Amino acid sequence: MTEPSQASNQVIAVEDINSYYGSSHVIQGLSLSVGEGEAVCILGRNGVGKTTTLRSIVGLTPPRSGSVRIGGAEVRGWPAHKITRLGVAYVPAERHIFPGLTVEENLLVASRPAPAGQETWTTDMVYETFPVLGQRRHSGGTQLSGGEQQMLAIGRALMGNPKVMLLDEPSQGLSPILVSRVAETVRALCRQHNLTLLLVEQNFRIALQMAGRHYLMGTKSKIQGVVSSKELMDNEELIKKHLSV
Amino acid sequence: MGALATVVDLILNSLVLGGVFLIVAIGLNIIYGLNRVMNLAHGSLYALGAYAGYTLVNLGGNFFLTLLFAPLVVGLVGLVIERVLISPMRARPMVYTLILTYGLMFVMDGCLKYFWGKETRFIAMPEFMTQTLSLGPVQYPVFRLVILLAIAAVMGGLMLMLGRTRMGVNMRAAADIPEMVSAVGVNLRMVQMGAFVLGCVLAGVAGALAGPLFTVYPVMGHGMLISSFVVVVIGGLGSLRGAIYAALLIGVVQTLAEFFITDLAMVLVYMMMALILVFKPRGLVGEGKFE
Repeated sequence: MTEPSQASNQVIAVEDINSYYGSSHVIQGLSLSVGEGEAVCILGRNGVGKTTTLRSIVGLTPPRSGSVRIGGAEVRGWPAHKITRLGVAYVPAERHIFPGLTVEENLLVASRPAPAGQETWTTDMVYETFPVLGQRRHSGGTQLSGGEQQMLAIGRALMGNPKVMLLDEPSQGLSPILVSRVAETVRALCRQHNLTLLLVEQNFRIALQMAGRHYLMGTKSKIQGVVSSKELMDNEELIKKHLSV
Repeated sequence: MGALATVVDLILNSLVLGGVFLIVAIGLNIIYGLNRVMNLAHGSLYALGAYAGYTLVNLGGNFFLTLLFAPLVVGLVGLVIERVLISPMRARPMVYTLILTYGLMFVMDGCLKYFWGKETRFIAMPEFMTQTLSLGPVQYPVFRLVILLAIAAVMGGLMLMLGRTRMGVNMRAAADIPEMVSAVGVNLRMVQMGAFVLGCVLAGVAGALAGPLFTVYPVMGHGMLISSFVVVVIGGLGSLRGAIYAALLIGVVQTLAEFFITDLAMVLVYMMMALILVFKPRGLVGEGKFE
């Protein structure tokens, strides 16, 4: 088992949270932490509460109890836009591109000045990262292909000048080649901009490609173990037990 | 007046009537699209706009000044309504605000009666606007042409605001996927509040425009609420484009009907609405979205 990162430089620290989806108790006493510059994945099958975990952190499904700290600040109960402004970017699995807005407008909705001493993301910087978005800047958000929508969702997340990106199943609905390209791009982005990554996946290959430390999540969000990529690769039983392969 | 003159006259009247419907209906639509509130007090806000205009003109103000003053007054009242009544109800089902705004309509009508009396009021126009202008064969009142221009200006400004400003982009995004707007760092509550106030401002402009056009009386908003509701329903809930088509359609149908079969005019309008809903239950451009 890999030790969680040191308490001093934790970007995300979740402690004993309980979250509900309607009346069903989805997250039961979950704790996890992500250190600065880390790339961490929550691995688990469909329906164990991976998405709700991300939504709890960003404030879209506020936990009813426990603690969520972002860079040391206790944010449980904060509205989502305030949590986002601390440098937390959320990319949902469904992308949620605004259909009535152009590509450029989708980016502009999320744009805001960076805190002092940090570079501010501009639409031009996003177009440099994803040239295809620049070519299609005046297209409607829903006229994009699945891969382009994923790029737009990531680009939109970057416009908020994040320190940490919450990425929900980037593989959903994409071909394996596209998934690899998205994974590569995200890794490069994290390196270049010192971004911390918290990823949710049920595909262990993508998890291995993108993250170094993995929380194995079972039903009701119970953490069954925390493993390094190497431990995950060496242990096929773990994979079979926790994941759809 | 020749036949051609009558036709031109009817077309211009249709545009004026449809334009007023449009501004009220779009306000109703924007409020619904972002707040999921069907504002039944919208007609009363429109009436308040007309009374604000009436009062300003009586105090020696100019008609054009009322086009700024009335929306300001109604916008402020709208802001108070949003903060005090609508905002606390956000988490509740829509029926709560439906009943709430229905009650608010009667409260506002009562207030209008209390402060301005039950008598019908007329708003005096500037001298030059009482003239008529020769448009080919037609002598057309300058006033109606000014109203038409003002409607075009309001619509143009609204389109620019929604299309080009950050607030407008935020509003369109929030109408699409409200939750995602907060997840990209925008204060959704502020956007929703802004949309509510914008809707009220539009009702205020429409009232100031319509005051001199029709007459001013306490329940003048009731007919307007129903007509603009018909426009929203025919156009499709939440659809801006649909509202434009529908407002023009209703303007034409109502003007023609009033000209030919005066007493049955509204019957015809409702029959048309029923007919359209039979074939297009979600309205002409209805997809439940605000675009």
